[in-house]
Amino acid sequence: MNMTKTHLPKRFHQAVLKWKDIFLPDYEFLLENWDKYFPKDPRFELCAFRELGMCNEIECGDLKGKPKFTRSGDMEATQSSHLLGAIKAQASTEFGSIQQHQLTLARAQEEEEQFWILRMMAEELRHGYQMLHLLMEDNWSAVSDQTGADMVEEILSMKTGSHILGAFNIDFDSFVDNVTFCAVIDRVGKYQLSMQRVSAYKPMAESMPQMLREEAFHLAAGVVPLRRWMEKAAQDSVYITTTAIQKTLNKWLPRGLEMFGDERGGGTNVRYGLKPMKNAEAQQQYYDEVGKVVHDLNIRYIRARLSGLNGTQAEALLGKILEERNSHQGVAWEDLVHLPHMEFFRRRGVPAFQLVGWDGEQFEDVESYLTHLAKHLPDAYRSGSDFKHFVELLTGVQSGELELGKAVRELPALRRVGGVCPCSRAVRWVAEESQLKGNGSDSIT
Amino acid sequence: MSEKSSELRIRSLEDTDLGGITALDEKIGGEYRPEVWERRIGYYLRRDPEASVVAEADGKVVGFMLGEVRSGEFGLEEPTGWIEVLGVDPDYRGRSVGRRLAEEMLEHLRARGATTVRTLVDEEMAGIAEFFERLGFEPVPMRSFAKRL
Repeated sequence: MNMTKTHLPKRFHQAVLKWKDIFLPDYEFLLENWDKYFPKDPRFELCAFRELGMCNEIECGDLKGKPKFTRSGDMEATQSSHLLGAIKAQASTEFGSIQQHQLTLARAQEEEEQFWILRMMAEELRHGYQMLHLLMEDNWSAVSDQTGADMVEEILSMKTGSHILGAFNIDFDSFVDNVTFCAVIDRVGKYQLSMQRVSAYKPMAESMPQMLREEAFHLAAGVVPLRRWMEKAAQDSVYITTTAIQKTLNKWLPRGLEMFGDERGGGTNVRYGLKPMKNAEAQQQYYDEVGKVVHDLNIRYIRARLSGLNGTQAEALLGKILEERNSHQGVAWEDLVHLPHMEFFRRRGVPAFQLVGWDGEQFEDVESYLTHLAKHLPDAYRSGSDFKHFVELLTGVQSGELELGKAVRELPALRRVGGVCPCSRAVRWVAEESQLKGNGSDSIT
Repeated sequence: MSEKSSELRIRSLEDTDLGGITALDEKIGGEYRPEVWERRIGYYLRRDPEASVVAEADGKVVGFMLGEVRSGEFGLEEPTGWIEVLGVDPDYRGRSVGRRLAEEMLEHLRARGATTVRTLVDEEMAGIAEFFERLGFEPVPMRSFAKRL
């Protein structure tokens, strides 16, 4: 592969390093143990990669066939504004996921799986860095009052509760979250990166290939442990149950579906050549792909439970159990993992705040719907502020006291008490150049 | 071109291929080895997911070829493409699945800077050796060493 490698200007690079010290404290530990878990792999480096030799012509939309844009200033204002929003959202997700993974990283039972997640976190840091590089490299003054420094500051100041997309505003409660998040939410990332690979904005398109290569491993860092857990669950391990996996899937899949945006939208991005698919089309492909993962998990379970079956027999048995929703050969429908309905537990998009159940069933009143949600969501999640916020919004919408559009735009403002948020100590992320030179240190004041 | 061959799609390796490759390996070798493939596919996805390729037909994996570019073996300092694992569904043999997998993979390896592609084939596996010879591979003077532990 032919790539260029660049770094942010010093003060922004330092800001990301400082952020890393706070939110990714095991970074140095990862590098010290790199060769143990990733022998022969190139060592991780915090930098921005750009792929060379990619398509120079716009690949979709109204401007298809025209040269790709190399500067946002050459784009139409709305087009550039959409692009800027996408870059900021992408950056927010990268930094946001690290903050979430860090919460429960130490709870992994297997050191190997913990190091996979840790490597993934470091690579997400690089992906965030890559997006900051896009912000800093161009002039966005035509569509934003913020300077590049302000934008970097804003993104690095975000924390769980103030990120742009809902999935990144939810705390992790256990290592099951780390793993399921990789398998489910990073998969949305794969779709977004794949679509942005054809972006009419060439710097964006060139940023995607290396991110996509790394993302492929992030998905495996979720799917492989899940498969191993299905085997353990089938053998009645005391450590994991399929119920725990199912409930965690129920927690994350609705948020993953919402990351594609409203099902009715996406046409503008396609027209502008920023993405090749509308929201609903990409969302459906994603849902089907998660369905494939779930199918494979169930086969893994059945083969572990009934070792005498061959592949064909296991497939036939799974089909029969799913069709009849019954028990066969000691395997019950409830023992397996299933995809929740696309409209279940949604707070964005067409089904937002509708009383749609896990199986697609419609509920008549909020109370019985909440009882239903309680049955399908993890206990630890239900006791958290995100779920409480959802319940308040849902109740408001269903009673007519809260406008649906307002509820959809609401973000859960998590209350942080001291701890890791630098803003609470009035610390700025991006230091002035003079301050860096003045004391010769890397402190961010 | 047969009907099945025309439906073939060659693409990069993905995590969702774990089940399909495990099943295909079992079909070929008669042994169910999920742990082996979880480890191996995890490795290739980590190293370079585009260097390994999968053939898909009728929504299922009917072939796969795994490999990577690396350097550092004794006397082989230049970036070298290595083809390390190959599997083709017996029902799809004779339909150019292996050749199409190889063509796609070699293109990727070339793009990754490899100037030579190598593979190791046991002398008893004449069919595999013939497959690579048909692709233009030639035996090279390299001695393979092994020690039983």
